[in-house]
Amino acid sequence: MEEMKRNPRIESFLLTLKILFQSPASVFGVVVVLIYIAIAAIDQFDPSLIGLTNVNSLVPNFTIPEPLPPSPAHPFGTVYPGIDIFTGILKAIRIDIGFAFFVVILGAVSGVLIGVISAYFGGWIDEIVMRITDIFFSIPYLVLAIAIGFFLGRSLFILSVGLIIIWWPIYARVVRGQSLAVREQTFVEAARASGVGNSKIMFRHILPNTLAPIFVQFSFDLATIVLTLATLNFIGFAPANAYLPDMGYLSSIGYEYAVIGDWWTIVFPGFGLLLFALAMNLVGDGLRDALDPRLRR
Amino acid sequence: MIISSYLNPHLPYAVQRAMLVKEFHLNDPIWVQYYYYMVGLLQGNWGYTHTAIYSGPVTTAISLFLPNTIQLSIIAFIIAVVIAIPAGQESAVRKNSAVDQISRFVAFVGISLPVFWLAQILSEVFATPTVSPALNILPLSGTVDATLMAGVPWINSIGVSNPTHIMMIDALIHGNLPIFFSSIRHVILPAATLAFTSIAGIMRYMRASMVESLSQDYVKTARSKGLPEKVVIKVHARKNALIPVVTILGLLFAGLLGGVVVIEDLFSYPGMGLWTVDAILGYDSGGIMGTTIVFGLILVTANFIVDLLYAWIDPRIRLGE
Repeated sequence: MEEMKRNPRIESFLLTLKILFQSPASVFGVVVVLIYIAIAAIDQFDPSLIGLTNVNSLVPNFTIPEPLPPSPAHPFGTVYPGIDIFTGILKAIRIDIGFAFFVVILGAVSGVLIGVISAYFGGWIDEIVMRITDIFFSIPYLVLAIAIGFFLGRSLFILSVGLIIIWWPIYARVVRGQSLAVREQTFVEAARASGVGNSKIMFRHILPNTLAPIFVQFSFDLATIVLTLATLNFIGFAPANAYLPDMGYLSSIGYEYAVIGDWWTIVFPGFGLLLFALAMNLVGDGLRDALDPRLRR
Repeated sequence: MIISSYLNPHLPYAVQRAMLVKEFHLNDPIWVQYYYYMVGLLQGNWGYTHTAIYSGPVTTAISLFLPNTIQLSIIAFIIAVVIAIPAGQESAVRKNSAVDQISRFVAFVGISLPVFWLAQILSEVFATPTVSPALNILPLSGTVDATLMAGVPWINSIGVSNPTHIMMIDALIHGNLPIFFSSIRHVILPAATLAFTSIAGIMRYMRASMVESLSQDYVKTARSKGLPEKVVIKVHARKNALIPVVTILGLLFAGLLGGVVVIEDLFSYPGMGLWTVDAILGYDSGGIMGTTIVFGLILVTANFIVDLLYAWIDPRIRLGE
């Protein structure tokens, strides 16, 4: 029984992967994302593997504070005060990616739960939830993130909580829209007629059928959150941690030097961000095609 | 400082303090203070802001900064729409051609670019003499050359122009071309940066919508009637493809406003965004509350305009069907 239930899901997953890997752009995206995740994992568990020490700080070197151009010793050059950009980026990947996954996973889980409950029960619960999401959509998210950070404080954790508060409504909306359609399907009616409880109908019958667009949204949001964190750090809304390894912060200290001609101080950190966001967006676009029912048949 | 305007230096310190406490309801619980704030909002008393670029009533700051932001974001929005809609249409018509692939690549790079990074690169290339002397053709910051503004009768002491408050339009009204061109030169870099970030989104939506619309039966019918391809695309396919695109333009405008915060800061463009950042960095709650409310209002207004446009494009809605 268990065997029969599982097979179609695995098959469906394999089909998704097959369609995904048909497009070279998606393959590129997946490979780049995996490399970033691998670097983040190495930073987390054994940084000495890629020769890193002190992964929580950008390790300034005050003996040679002025930026040095790229050289064999510093492949991407250095930035004031003597921070090596290459190792800085490697360390930043752990913070930036970890932060993005933390925010998007928690935001997606809470949004999905709220959305399914809201759609399933309908009525005033649905009305209240949807009006709350309206409030979040009526203010630009960057402004809202800054305002929440202002009132709650400026640590990386609080910033992530603020972004989760901003991000769940997107998922609630997407899942609600899907669930409303699924709720009316005959198999849900059949489940209800055979006496299945509310929570089992919601999470076992409706939820799995709403997840395809969630995965797509998830990959786009990973890119957006990484860029958002970098942007917040860049405009000086950084968590109170000098030398926090983050690509936005790295770019912001390079800014003044880039203006006087030291291009490497901003080009490389920005490129590190661009590459991840591009890869994640390509994966999302590929997933959208791969999960599109019209293309699967 | 604003507070000093409330104080009479001849009074004893304790009296001054008591007057301030009374004026700002500092002894009341926070919900009572919130009540006073909300009443003040409705009465046009939005509190005070004290930042590096402006100190004074929030409402005055809004009248100073909001027109600049409107000018910037509308120009950016127009640039984005004018480029993105035809590009999206073209890549849908020539699906999977080189044009489509290139525009797809550009679109994804556009979504993935960190805004602040693009702004840095552009300002280095076009506005930094030390990096690129040949291309140093645009100003790096501000809205208009300060030397041109001196002594102009229709610009008041804090830099607000009359009658519309939007410098570019006022310059045209008064026939002052140097100021007009100066403000265009100042807006190019921030507007281009801002536009580039939204082009990608609009273009992808337009392409998807156009592909959908081109596969519909009415397009087949139009083609089999023998209509020229140009008419089929322009009249039959594009009009229907635009409907969903217009609905998301309101949301994209929100994204644009988010970008304004960063871009104005980078280009020292005195608008709502720069004020927001200054207010946040200075823990200026009056400014933060004021800017957040204004951003919300702009968004609601944008969505309202989109609803109206929607009715204009889709006659079925106008007829109430």
